[in-house]
Amino acid sequence: MFELGGIFEAIGKWLNGFLPPVWVTIISAVITGLAVLGFLSLLALFLVWWERKISAHMQQRYGPMRTGWHGVLQTIADGVKLLQKEDLMPKDADRIVYFWAPIICFGAAFMAYLVVPFGKGIIVQDLNIGILYIIAITTFTVVSLLMAGWASNNKWALLGGMRSAAQIISYEVPLSLAIVGAVMLAQTLSMNGIVSAQAGGFWHWYVFREPLGFLVYYIAATAEANRTPFDIPEAEQELVAGFNIEYSGMKFAMFFLAEFVNMFTVSAIAVTLFFGGWQPLFSFLGFIPSWVWFMGKSLVSVFVLMWFRWTYPRIRVDQLMNFAWKFLLPLAFLNIILVGFGIVVFK
Amino acid sequence: MSLVRQTTNGIYNLILGLAVTVKHLFKHAITLQYPKERWTMPERSRGTVVLLSDTETGKLNCTACLMCEKACPVAAITIEREKNPETKKFEPTSFTIDMGICCYCGLCEKACNFSAIKLTGKYEMSIYDKSELIYDMDFLQKLGRDVKYEKRKRVVKKTAVKKATAKPKTTEARAESGDKKAEGTSSTKDDGDVKEKPKNETEEGKE
Repeated sequence: MFELGGIFEAIGKWLNGFLPPVWVTIISAVITGLAVLGFLSLLALFLVWWERKISAHMQQRYGPMRTGWHGVLQTIADGVKLLQKEDLMPKDADRIVYFWAPIICFGAAFMAYLVVPFGKGIIVQDLNIGILYIIAITTFTVVSLLMAGWASNNKWALLGGMRSAAQIISYEVPLSLAIVGAVMLAQTLSMNGIVSAQAGGFWHWYVFREPLGFLVYYIAATAEANRTPFDIPEAEQELVAGFNIEYSGMKFAMFFLAEFVNMFTVSAIAVTLFFGGWQPLFSFLGFIPSWVWFMGKSLVSVFVLMWFRWTYPRIRVDQLMNFAWKFLLPLAFLNIILVGFGIVVFK
Repeated sequence: MSLVRQTTNGIYNLILGLAVTVKHLFKHAITLQYPKERWTMPERSRGTVVLLSDTETGKLNCTACLMCEKACPVAAITIEREKNPETKKFEPTSFTIDMGICCYCGLCEKACNFSAIKLTGKYEMSIYDKSELIYDMDFLQKLGRDVKYEKRKRVVKKTAVKKATAKPKTTEARAESGDKKAEGTSSTKDDGDVKEKPKNETEEGKE
């Protein structure tokens, strides 16, 4: 009854009744695009507020309290302020690159949602190479960060961009290898396929089949989302603000939005790959809509990422690299070997 | 072996850190929501100076004795006074305190015998112009309206008795005049007493 998947199908059927199929495709594409964009914007607004509240309460403060109930409208107020701000560009900036960097950053974060299964039947396009597509598209973030750092014509921004490139490319390797474990178990790259392979109670979830893979994925994903303790691209104390130091107004807001959307993306992928996606905890809890399960699990994962941020100090650049190449990478390989043995032995 | 120990130790410490932050997440925030909530200031805190009024009549307790003006180490208090022709008592016509130079020492409050001036717990005195920090009499009275205080018992009577007892020591005649004074205050013959007083003083001076 509360499943949203049926609604989209019903709209599609209704449109098919009186419109030629080309128009239906165009209209449904626009509608889904706008729906996902609206959802992500609202989500980012909520996540920014949530992070501020969590950080505040972890430090025994209140955080925003004035705008709305416990400051829920604070992010909207901030957004309006950013919209009103002058859009500045440094004098000797590379104008074209400077202009496109935030758009690519937000676009990459936004495009990943093409294959994220929000619930039973709520997926924009179930690509048969879904997880590969996500790995490919989220890597565009590093291009945009490097573009922003280069085009700003600022040494801090450039350092931040370089660091982000080094970091994200390094952590991409263990991340992808950790994903390989889940793909081996599910025998498919499709996101829906991976979710349905974990059906039937929480003991079927892949986090219990390959905990090592989950650990590697989660650590690498924290680095991918540029979250503390791996937030060296925008290390405030060293680089002032990192790659986005010269950005103001709406462009800065896009970077900011993309950061929170990325955080939700890595959480959503973690949930899909290791926590059964929209599958309920027990099969008799199936009366709760699937999108509630998905959002609940993802928000718990986002909370854990925020929890990390307000607990751990930032690690040094060399430690970061050592950790990725000397520790996470062998662990990821070990995970693949263990999963392979498991498949051979238990099947 | 030491690598294993280091790793387990590190993981333990990471979990310990998470436990600490989540423990604080559920603790009550200690922030004071300032304009909504305010500290209750201690009773004897030395903040803004106010002029106190009589709770019944609503008039200032100040008798314009200038004791506070003399006591003030930074000369923040300026009083102008006038004698009321009806009651023959001094009344302040203007009473200004420059809060910009006030050092909140509280000596004016100590000097006052009539519970007319007090340092209160009020602390919100931010203004946009420095000249607004010079508080006039009406404003000081307005500030002091809601201030609770205990009126100091008048010590003046005691000194009057002392004078009455001290004067007979010199001559009997003066003792008589002292008695007259005591009688005179209660009766309507105030004018006569006032005129006599300077005479006595001049006599004392001659002696």
